[in-house]
Amino acid sequence: MGKQISNTLTSLFLRFFAANFNHRKALNRYLRSADGWIDFTFGVKTENGSVAQALIFKGGKVRVTGRMPAKPDAMLVFKDEQALKEAAVEPPNKLMIALMENRMLTLGNLGHLQVINFYLSLLLKPIQIAKLKKETRAENRHYDVDKASKTCIDSRKLPQLRTETQEDPGVLFLDDPYLPDMGLDDFPRLKTFLTLHFKTKPALCHERPDILTRWFRENGFETDRDGSPHVPELRQARAFKYLMEHKKPRIRENDLIAGTTTPQEIGVVLYPDAHGTMIWGELLTAPHRPLNPYEISADTVEALHTRIFPFWLNRNFREWVRSTKGNPTCQQLDERFAACFLWKTVALSHTILHYPKILALGTSGIRADIEKERTNTPDSSDEKNHLLEAMEICLSGIEAYAKNLATEAERLAAQEPDPLRKAELQHLAAICRRVPENPCATLDEAVNALWIIWIGVHMENTNAGFSLGRLDQWLQPYFKADMERCETPEARKAYIRHAVELIGCFFMRCTDHLPLIPDIGNHLFGGSSSDQAITLGGVTPKGEDAVNDMTYIFLKVTEMLGIRDPNVNARYSREKNSRTYLRRLCEVNVNTLSTPSIHHDEAVMESLAEFDYPAEHLRDWSATGCVEPTLSGRHIGHTNCMMFNMVAALEMALNNGRHPLMRWNLGPQTGSVANGDFTDFESFFNAFAEQLRFLAGLTCQYNNYLGEAHQALRPTPYISALMEGPLHKGKDVTQGGAVYNSSGTACIGLADITDSMMAIRKLVFEEKKVTFAELWTAVNGNFEHHPGLLALIKTKVPLFGSGDAEALAMANRVAKLAHDIFAEQTNYRGGRYTAGFWSMSNHVAFGTLTGALPSGRLAGKAFTPGLTPEPHASKNILSNLRDVAGLDPKNMNNNIAFNVKVVPAPGESHERTVDTLTSYAKAYCDMGGMQMQLNVVSSETLKDAMIHPENHQNLMVRISGYNAYFVSLNRNMQTELVERAEFGR
Amino acid sequence: MTDEAQKTPLVLEIKGNSLDDGPGIRSVVFFKGCPLSCVWCHNPESRKAGPEIAFDGKLCVDCGECRKICPEKALSKTHPLYVDRTRCTLCFLCTNVCPSGALEPVGKSMTVDAIMNKILPDKPFYDTSGGGVTLSGGEATLFMDFASDLLKALKHEGIHTLLETCGSFDLTRFMAQVYPHVDAMYYDLKIMDSRKHQQFCGLPNSRILENFKALLKTAARDGKVLLPRTPLIPGITDTEDNIRALAEFLSALSVTRAALLAYNPLWHEKSDKVGVDDPYKKDKAMTSFSDGGVLERCQSIYQDYGISVVNAG
Repeated sequence: MGKQISNTLTSLFLRFFAANFNHRKALNRYLRSADGWIDFTFGVKTENGSVAQALIFKGGKVRVTGRMPAKPDAMLVFKDEQALKEAAVEPPNKLMIALMENRMLTLGNLGHLQVINFYLSLLLKPIQIAKLKKETRAENRHYDVDKASKTCIDSRKLPQLRTETQEDPGVLFLDDPYLPDMGLDDFPRLKTFLTLHFKTKPALCHERPDILTRWFRENGFETDRDGSPHVPELRQARAFKYLMEHKKPRIRENDLIAGTTTPQEIGVVLYPDAHGTMIWGELLTAPHRPLNPYEISADTVEALHTRIFPFWLNRNFREWVRSTKGNPTCQQLDERFAACFLWKTVALSHTILHYPKILALGTSGIRADIEKERTNTPDSSDEKNHLLEAMEICLSGIEAYAKNLATEAERLAAQEPDPLRKAELQHLAAICRRVPENPCATLDEAVNALWIIWIGVHMENTNAGFSLGRLDQWLQPYFKADMERCETPEARKAYIRHAVELIGCFFMRCTDHLPLIPDIGNHLFGGSSSDQAITLGGVTPKGEDAVNDMTYIFLKVTEMLGIRDPNVNARYSREKNSRTYLRRLCEVNVNTLSTPSIHHDEAVMESLAEFDYPAEHLRDWSATGCVEPTLSGRHIGHTNCMMFNMVAALEMALNNGRHPLMRWNLGPQTGSVANGDFTDFESFFNAFAEQLRFLAGLTCQYNNYLGEAHQALRPTPYISALMEGPLHKGKDVTQGGAVYNSSGTACIGLADITDSMMAIRKLVFEEKKVTFAELWTAVNGNFEHHPGLLALIKTKVPLFGSGDAEALAMANRVAKLAHDIFAEQTNYRGGRYTAGFWSMSNHVAFGTLTGALPSGRLAGKAFTPGLTPEPHASKNILSNLRDVAGLDPKNMNNNIAFNVKVVPAPGESHERTVDTLTSYAKAYCDMGGMQMQLNVVSSETLKDAMIHPENHQNLMVRISGYNAYFVSLNRNMQTELVERAEFGR
Repeated sequence: MTDEAQKTPLVLEIKGNSLDDGPGIRSVVFFKGCPLSCVWCHNPESRKAGPEIAFDGKLCVDCGECRKICPEKALSKTHPLYVDRTRCTLCFLCTNVCPSGALEPVGKSMTVDAIMNKILPDKPFYDTSGGGVTLSGGEATLFMDFASDLLKALKHEGIHTLLETCGSFDLTRFMAQVYPHVDAMYYDLKIMDSRKHQQFCGLPNSRILENFKALLKTAARDGKVLLPRTPLIPGITDTEDNIRALAEFLSALSVTRAALLAYNPLWHEKSDKVGVDDPYKKDKAMTSFSDGGVLERCQSIYQDYGISVVNAG
């Protein structure tokens, strides 16, 4: 009877919905787009079939039916009636979280679900917004941002060490490379920008998709105006050029760098061919959500709903795969959230352009190369000729944008009353007339060219993890040339100051855009920016010490600003780099609390040895996105193609192939714990390996399908023109045109799996303190009735990070397994898959989607970040450092994220703190450690920031690979950071 | 004290990553057993040289296994300290079954090799920080042969060695066995009035002072650090009289550097764990952290005598 009632109530609710949209004009108009009525069918049912209703949208009318259409365009399947009831009145963001938590699942086009969400939101807006506001209040998320941004900047204390000895041969001009006498107060311009950064609410920006959609409507997407199929590369190039020509040329007030990613102060860029339509359902509520809310103007809502999103409903990567490959299992797995997240649904990114070439030749030089290639290879394939043409079109697009900026600078200069600023604007106009078209001659030109080129990257491709590379190396020649032109010591001193300010402006420019984060993203990748990694130090392509003046200038800027993006990564070569440099890296970490992350150069290069890259290219690696190595300028490694939850394989091995939360008999039947199928540890480990291989196979398959989707929907001839490889190969980078190709995974849960395996081996098979079935029962019951067993596990099982040799060997074994499994796979560009052990913030999200584990980790708790050991593994940091250093780099060819939270003792001197950290870092590298990232903050401070976010707006923390402002994180992530092992005294 | 205990001491703990017990990053080996019996002892579990059982209520999950196995019925939830030490025979059956580590044996018999195996993996940290290994306690010189072997093994590995000592030892044996292998000594001078020293620390201070004078003569010559240290215990060592007397003693010996340690009351909790009598449990001064004023006051007295107070860490 209850079921009958649910079905009736659902029907009533849908009829209420339909009546409103049929009869209220203000609502009815939303059923229409620029292309006509948005017609589709949408089903709602429960897993057991107790509820089954459908909405049919056709010709501006909505109809409700109890007879489910054979194939609705989209459908929501609820776990049970309770889940359905909850969903009916929740804001759209909550609905997505219910989806993530597998309280319901979707079938069909996710875009249509978003349309429904948007319609529900139109109807229930007042209730939804009231709920979000209440939540915002309950979590203390609302405060006076103007005041908070000022407080946080003014309250920063940056004690400064001086260099003890000058021992970097590459430092030519800085007397004390630590630049201890400069501070933010010397740069009012930067201080203003920083304040704006902290107080401005990001705005959703429809400029990019609007201009592009206009072009595609006019010129066709699948076919051109004559009905012939488009060549995707040429189509994208022409649309890109149109975009760059029509994009608003904007110069931010008082900036030394021309151009902005969007017309907004901080713009959220939209890519409806990727995941852009995911925000559709939240257009009315996102300004009110507690975490990272957006400004969304009425114009933007109108443009997106009527002109833009409907055009892309079926023209995006997910839906391309769904229709072309028939909604394959691998896609279904991704859309259930618990086992993986495939980044190609968002972007094919995470690479580094060939900046030295771009700056040295200019786009005109690159054009000349294209022309030469055409002359040298007259009999090229159509594919190649098309690509070369597409590359040229893109270059002319970026040149047009630079000219528009020059004109804008001239316009502003003409009306500028302040003579100093007028001169700056005239200077900018001259720069934009020259570059990026021509070779750069000065640091000002190089930095402006860099930025204009960078804007282009994010106009062509999603702003997710594209990285800047070794800017200290590539800008030093321009800095040096400028310094050599200075004739007096005063002029040189002033120029160094100018260089710091210019790089400061560049950092602030990088904060002018944010990736689109639908609310579910706040749970998956909370607080993340677009992770534009800059890499400093290390060795030159020839193997010499690469630390130079610009290295220290970048470090100074990193320290003064203390912002999350660009994500600064430092290479530290044990063989070549000085302790002076390492000490400065540690000092900047102490002062910024969490950046730069430190990479042991030799270990990272060792991890890539299996690829036999030429030494000069290998030595030129840069960190990408979070931490992952890319061979600068010639390598598409899409180093974050997927976040892969290894623990899902463990759960499936414990449950004979079934995933508990997804309620899905997904994997191979590898044996039942309850039936006693596992007679020794090896048989269980093998079952885990089989499940892991199975999941990796599925995720790689989906990644490859999505790669094909990118080839069809969004090849990137602009990026192809700016990298080495496509020119000669005649292939777009999405087709494998780069010199080197690979796909990089982030394997999550190494410590949790290692510890679980140790518990099973020790307690079940070696010491026989408990049977496997008993342990399994305790795990299934979240240890609620087994406190003694839980205590036993926590105290008697040696964990990874405790200094125990067996646990370390187990961690190496699991890492090797993951590495080998992915190495077996080939990607759609003919490259290999690599395995990394970092997690962005997915160790928290995947943790909430995972039951209790044999390691004693309770259901829903976060995994450890990256491959960081469990907090209770060891009382002191040294065992942690030693164990992680003991992991074999050869198994970790997509790098790692090792978090170390260090708390200086009260009253300890700055110098002592820095020197201790330097000793840790040096010893860790001496022992073979690969990467480490510090959080120099106490749990007490973090807790205070949860209660008083208004006092900690700039409190920066390292999540796993990237930096975020603590106050912008969801509660689960905040808690994970608080509970991290804290090493102090 | 039995001869056997002197040969193979119990080690309470090897604490890694210590930044307070000498220069750089250090490991500290805590020996169990001390000739003194200071009423404020920071490591009450280190006073007796023999084995003990500790109970930490915060870790207990109340599974009841220990109560089932105890043949003496010495464990009870109604006993304020859980372990009735008048009944306990230290058979350690309970610590064996305890899953949570709430009941633990205090002190572990370790060979020099075993200690070295624990310590050596951290050598890279000593090397990069100018750190090393500190012997502390309890009192390492209570086990002169063993301490000597351990220090020799450390020096063999090129590790910097530091001894924290109460100074109550046989000087001849010390000079022959320990002194040659230490790079630095942190030497406690607590109370100048010998009667009071006897009252609060269990022994008169004459031997301690004589030993200090003797070491002072050789240390500088041999390039070894000898740093006198005084823990500031409210009303006991931090009195005007005592600090002045210490300063006089040191300045008469031309000592110019000394350490003063701010009071830390965290030892009370440890007393309960091992069931040691704690007459100061309810004493306000003895249960609070000192404010900076005490340290400052004592420091300025030292300065009057030309002694600069250094950080002992």
